[in-house]
Amino acid sequence: MKHLKPLNKKAQALDKAAEEGTLDEVRVMQTVVMGCTSTLDPGWEVDPFGGVAALCQPMEADLYGCADPCWWPAQVPDTINTYPQWDGDAPSAQRDWRQLQAVYPKK
Amino acid sequence: MTAKRTPAGMRTAKALLAVCAVAAVGLAPQPGAAKEYILTAAKPNTLVLADPEKREVVRTYPIPGDGSPLSVAPSPDNKVAYVLTNHWGSISGIDLDSGDEVFRADFSTEDTRVRGMFAIAVSPDGEEIYSTQLPVEMGLGEYTVGAPYVAVYRTADGVGAKPVRKIEVPRRTVLIFLSDDGSKLYAVSWDVHVYDTQTGEEIGVHKVYNWDRENYYPPDVFGVWVQHEQAKSFVNPYFALRSDMSPENPDAWKTGMLTIDMKTGEFEMADFESTSAIIFSAVRNPVRRNEVYGVYTQLSKIDTDKNELAGRVELDHTYYAINVSGDGSEVYVAGTMDDIGVYDSESLDKLGEIELPSGNDMGTAWIRMIER
Repeated sequence: MKHLKPLNKKAQALDKAAEEGTLDEVRVMQTVVMGCTSTLDPGWEVDPFGGVAALCQPMEADLYGCADPCWWPAQVPDTINTYPQWDGDAPSAQRDWRQLQAVYPKK
Repeated sequence: MTAKRTPAGMRTAKALLAVCAVAAVGLAPQPGAAKEYILTAAKPNTLVLADPEKREVVRTYPIPGDGSPLSVAPSPDNKVAYVLTNHWGSISGIDLDSGDEVFRADFSTEDTRVRGMFAIAVSPDGEEIYSTQLPVEMGLGEYTVGAPYVAVYRTADGVGAKPVRKIEVPRRTVLIFLSDDGSKLYAVSWDVHVYDTQTGEEIGVHKVYNWDRENYYPPDVFGVWVQHEQAKSFVNPYFALRSDMSPENPDAWKTGMLTIDMKTGEFEMADFESTSAIIFSAVRNPVRRNEVYGVYTQLSKIDTDKNELAGRVELDHTYYAINVSGDGSEVYVAGTMDDIGVYDSESLDKLGEIELPSGNDMGTAWIRMIER
């Protein structure tokens, strides 16, 4: 952090945590990507044991169960707040998955 | 490319929903012939009423506004279905006879965005609705996360209802339900907290994550579905690792059932197997009350007298939610895709399925049983 200067509260908190050696406390699930993203990339998910055997069958059965609540391990856009219409044209994941696209920040 | 719903597409969808609603009027249940129905929901924002005997959907109701429906809670007289929707920002109450929206509570205010995380519950007298909510104050330069609470609404306030009181609950409260007499609110978080529904005072805590069971690490309780109406018993799976055994030993990983009797308040957590399947939600048989059924990619039967696995079958695909018929003979598995599986509660043989005509996903929607 020698060449970086915190400019806002969050950065200052991060800086302080680094100084106090407490950064690890917020890395409980660092092996799992959490929450919603700007891409649709199902297939990389992991189950509670870090494997894939206990994932939902088929993957499409689980897509909206994970997407609607921004659940891990759904690597899908945030439909709760930011992109509520992401799946508006795809009410069936198995039938309509081709309609699901990546999203981009609004200008 | 951003996926958008075009105005023309929306008009078509609305027109189709209207046609479905009109066509279904003739199939509506007739008064005087009380029988059991399944209540669930599917995309896009549709409430679904199915007849388990006929193995078919008998009516669908478009829910006003946007969003995927999630929690479904019927009024005690089974005339209104309350649904969490609008991207978890509203509760809509749909009259099951007229199809009209007779209740609506939009959670957010001008400067505070509020989302309801999973659970809603209707009081036994039908006068109040309880909803877990998470507020975030939307400042100009930053968001401030507020304390979670259960908001209480009066059903009589109808469309535009505002909370009449709030009960502060711990963060991570996902499931809530009321005691059979309506006097106690149970909030399932790391532990199960019990509140006086009228004063909001905390009157008890059942330790779950903070249990003091010897030779066990803290258990993991996962559950976002509520279905207790048949047996008046809240059941939810938990998973725990023994601390006195090597984690490489498969027998160190235990699955159990957390049970709360909604009449007596009796609380129990008991292992029934070394973890060999994931279970997302569970329901108790109202007749053979020692039998609990759990669902995920398998359907499991658990004997809670003996605390042992009594049966397990593979399902056609994963289901999230489960319920049981009033006579205890049939088990219904739902959620995820577009069909409700019907299984024999004794043999766990598949008896049939109820396909949603739209072919649309139920996702995380609950499945509830009502009599009409």
